[in-house]
Formats: sequence, C-alpha cells, structure tokens
Amino acid sequence: MTYNRRIENSAEHHEVSALLPWYVNETLGDLDRQRADAHLGVCTACRDDLAVQRRICEAIDAQPAIDYMPVASLKRLQARLDTLAESAPTIAPAKEQPTHRLPWRGWMAAASVAAMAVAVALLAANRFVQTDTRLMQPNYHTVTNSAPRPQGEVIRAVFSPSITLVELETILDEAQLRIVSGPTEAGVYSLASNSTLGVRASLALLRQHSTVRFAEGTLPEPEPGDSR
Amino acid sequence: MTLPVKNSPKERDSALLVAIAAGDRRALEELYLSFHRRLARFLSRFTSRYENVEEIINDTFLVVWQSAKDFRNASQVSTWIIGIAYRTALKSFRRQKNHAAAQSLEDYPEQTVDPTFDAELNDWLNHGLSRLPMEQRLTLELAYHMGHSLEEIAAITDCPVGTVKARMFHAREKLRQYLPALSGAPPGLSARIG
Repeated sequence: MTYNRRIENSAEHHEVSALLPWYVNETLGDLDRQRADAHLGVCTACRDDLAVQRRICEAIDAQPAIDYMPVASLKRLQARLDTLAESAPTIAPAKEQPTHRLPWRGWMAAASVAAMAVAVALLAANRFVQTDTRLMQPNYHTVTNSAPRPQGEVIRAVFSPSITLVELETILDEAQLRIVSGPTEAGVYSLASNSTLGVRASLALLRQHSTVRFAEGTLPEPEPGDSR
Repeated sequence: MTLPVKNSPKERDSALLVAIAAGDRRALEELYLSFHRRLARFLSRFTSRYENVEEIINDTFLVVWQSAKDFRNASQVSTWIIGIAYRTALKSFRRQKNHAAAQSLEDYPEQTVDPTFDAELNDWLNHGLSRLPMEQRLTLELAYHMGHSLEEIAAITDCPVGTVKARMFHAREKLRQYLPALSGAPPGLSARIG
C-alpha cells in the first residue's frame, strides 16, 4: 500500500474530509482547524477536494440574488397579526355577557346573540387551532410520512448513528443501492436500486448488518406466483 | 416599550426578542426588517416565485411572534429564526410537487459537461444543485451561502452533527460526479449521475 493510499484510508482522513466545507467557510474551531491544516499538509486528495469545495463555495456566493422590498410583505404579516388579535377579544366579552340582566322579552334576542358569539368563538378557535397546528412542530418523528415518495425510492432505511460514511457507502454498494433522499431529521434514508438485484435481495443484504437499524421496502410486496 | 441600545447584532436580536415576547409589535417589525433580506436571498435560491418566499418568511415570523416567550437562549436568536424558516421552507417545498428539487438525479442519467466559461460553470452548478435532495441542498446552502458552522446547521435543522456531515458528504459526492470539470476531469466528459 502506498503512502498516499494509507493516508486516504485513515480515520483521520475521513474525519477531516467531512469537515472541509466548514474549513472553507472558516467556521471551524481552533482545534479542528489546526487538525485540518496538519492533515492537508500531507494529504493530496484532501487538498484537491478543498480546491473543488472552494470553487463551489465561490460560485454559490457569486451568484446574483434578487433583493426584495420587505415593506409590502411586512404589511401583509401585520394584517395577519391584526386578524389574530381581533379574533381573541371577540371570544372574551361573549363569555362575560350578563344575560341575567336582560328583560324577559329580550331572551330570544339574547339567545341569538349568545349563539352567534359561540359560533364566532368556535370559528375563531378553529382558525387558531388550524394555524397553530400548521405551524407547530410535532415532538416526535415518524419513519413514514405523507411527503411524496422520492423518485425511484424502493427502500427506507435507518442506520446506526455511529456508522461511518465509508461503512455506509460499502453497505450500499454491496446491496446495490443508492441514496435518493435524506437522511431526514429522523435519520431515514430513501434508497433506490442500482441494479436488477431486486428489493428483497437488497433488503436481505442490508439486514445482515448490525449497523442497519431499520430497512423496509416501500413498494407493495409482489403477489405469490408473481415472477417479478 | 423602549429598547435598550445594544452594540452587537446578537445583543440587539436578543433584546428585540424579549420585547416581542412582551407583545411589542414594533420590535417584531424591526426584527422582521433586519432578517428579511437574508432570508429572502436564501429562500429565493430555491424558488423563483416571490409569493412563496414571502409566505415562508411571514409564516416564520408568525411563529416568532407566537413563540418568542418560549425562547430559552439555547442558541442564538438568528439560529432559532433560521431554524424556523428552514422547517417552514422544507414543508412548503415538499408541498410543491412540481418543485425541481423533488426530482432525483437519476432523472438525468447522462449529461455532457463542458464548463469552459465561469458562466457555464455556474449554470451547471445550479443544474446540479437543483437536483440534490432538498435536505442535502439546504445543508450545502446553509454552509456555503449563509456561512453557518457545523454546529449551527445542526441546531437550525434540529439534527445531530453526524447527520449534517452525512448530508454534506452525499451532496459533495453528487456534485462532484455531476461536475467532473470541478474535480479536474477533462471537459466534455460525460457525468454519470448517481
């Protein structure tokens, strides 16, 4: 094994390589930066990759961006906040309506007012709940979700948090799979097949690894006798 | 409410958020205006429709208004706000079924790349970026466009640092395969996408 090959196979190489984007944007802490500097001094592959990442970063940074005038947008936000604020006090006075003070002949009218107030309160509450539900984040993760399935996805898998990128690539190569999306916040990868190996065979290869925590096909199982 | 004069942007953001938590609409306006340009420039890289950009920013600040009192200084105010925008944007982009980024790279198995000029390189870079899975592209843009640290991106995306590294690794690998000229391969080489 050559000297360069030994360096590129080392754990230090993989760890520093993973940090290169933040070396480029100059946000690494002192220790990590010194570590990267030391490794870059001896690793040709990382120096080449650093040059590539700098070009990508410069190209992204140099792209013209459109500047928008924020005032009109702010007015629309203020209108939404006004609507929310108006809906809140509508509820409170309705609850405090002193119906016992109304004359007997006003009972029907009072009942109508109360019914309308309840309806408005329910509508306002419903609107608030809808807005709140849409904006609030759930405090749990699911492996499946209603998002459109990524193109070509046949398997969803979760790997051990301790898996290295090299191990992950090796497992995927062996199962002849490639990543089409992810990992999600829950650590879920969407995988597509790279060959005609078949989903079952790929799943079996994945599941024999202890670092694969979860692996399931996303397509319906073929019917018995189905030759596919 | 009269806001105390603060020197650094971080202190100013924190003071504004305290005022917002107390119901100060003027503080919300000030924070909105100070973040709008940054967020709009970032979001407009993913969608060309300004109404989408505005909707994401306004949804973000509605959450800021409603949740300011729950902010516990576990991160910087800017990281917290960009994190809200990130999640709002991710949901919005996923709703747009025709969004180009929802397409996988495998939709384009063969591309001939010959970035002789920088302008062409930028075009191809945009082409490659738009075909990355959304989580990977957002991670790349948060680092290279917004200049966030690894730890900040982990906080923004509410993911472990290892997940951020993995997303960045896959994004870099795909871009490298998509743009062989960047990695020193001869121009005109067919890029195998995968």
